[in-house]
Amino acid sequence: MRAVVFFLGLSLLAACDRAKPLPIYGERKVSGTDTVYHTIAPFSFVNQDSARVTRDTFRDKIYVADFFFTSCRTICPIMKTQMLRVYEATESMPDVLILSHTIDPMHDDVAKLHDFADRLGASSARWHFVTGVKDSIYHIAQTSYFATAMEDQTEPDGFIHSGAFLLVDKKGRIRGKYDGTVEQEVNRLIGDIKRLRLESD
Amino acid sequence: MAISNACDLNRIKIIFAGAVLFFVGCHNPEQLAFKQYRVQGERLYQQHCSNCHQPKGKGLARVYPPIAGSDYLHSNFEKVICGMKYGIQGEIVVNGVVFNQPMPGVLALTDMEIAQIATYIYNLESTDRGLISTHEVAALLAKCP
Repeated sequence: MRAVVFFLGLSLLAACDRAKPLPIYGERKVSGTDTVYHTIAPFSFVNQDSARVTRDTFRDKIYVADFFFTSCRTICPIMKTQMLRVYEATESMPDVLILSHTIDPMHDDVAKLHDFADRLGASSARWHFVTGVKDSIYHIAQTSYFATAMEDQTEPDGFIHSGAFLLVDKKGRIRGKYDGTVEQEVNRLIGDIKRLRLESD
Repeated sequence: MAISNACDLNRIKIIFAGAVLFFVGCHNPEQLAFKQYRVQGERLYQQHCSNCHQPKGKGLARVYPPIAGSDYLHSNFEKVICGMKYGIQGEIVVNGVVFNQPMPGVLALTDMEIAQIATYIYNLESTDRGLISTHEVAALLAKCP
């Protein structure tokens, strides 16, 4: 009997561990009984189909965000290789989207992004490649997504940026940070997307 | 006893074959240079090319063309050599697919490094061009547009 209770307890513990929610990143404020979490600030960009993309585009959606540029030859090609894996892994998940921001909007206009997305085989229904005002992109990268993105003439391509993939939940909160240039990290991201989908609101 | 003899005989055969390979391998400078170039070329390929063309040379969708099994490589030897150093712009067709992503050249590559990368990529899968010498590459690079 004691053994049964023990094993029951053990399996409950295991179940709890599995159900452990993903962390919520960023500062939080407690006001009264409510905790207010860091969320992605409002934004307005244009995607590869010239459609406006805002926070509303991602309402009630889980999404993965990153920062890149089409002419980059350092880490972006690896990031895009890995993001394509995320895209393929989430094919049957209508509530999961991808948001790739260019950090070189001077060069990456809508036509460039359209061509790039098309060549990658990505549909704008699930994967948005956006451009916009350069400062707005850099600002949201740094303050909302905690990702590095800026110009730097000492870099081979003229930009410095992180290869991070950010996992954002349906409430606009960051729930995971992954190195988009490392296959194992991206495997973890794909696992976390599945976990996040099981979370109740 | 008979088994042990057979084993000994096999061992002698293997040692003899190894010795022959060793001598033939080392006394054929072309063969040795080929191996060295290919090994160095693979290292340089992983450093300068694999981000886009992928670690195994398969390319990425219609963004970055494949290197392995590429018909373009076959018929554009000069362009490929010049491209490594000075870049390639505009549309190219590889295995029937149109690609149009500018490839920046790597000016810092030496003639020998380009010869090593060329030796590596021209001896992948179906292609087996053998050693591409630094001399040959230097002559081609002098004529790049």
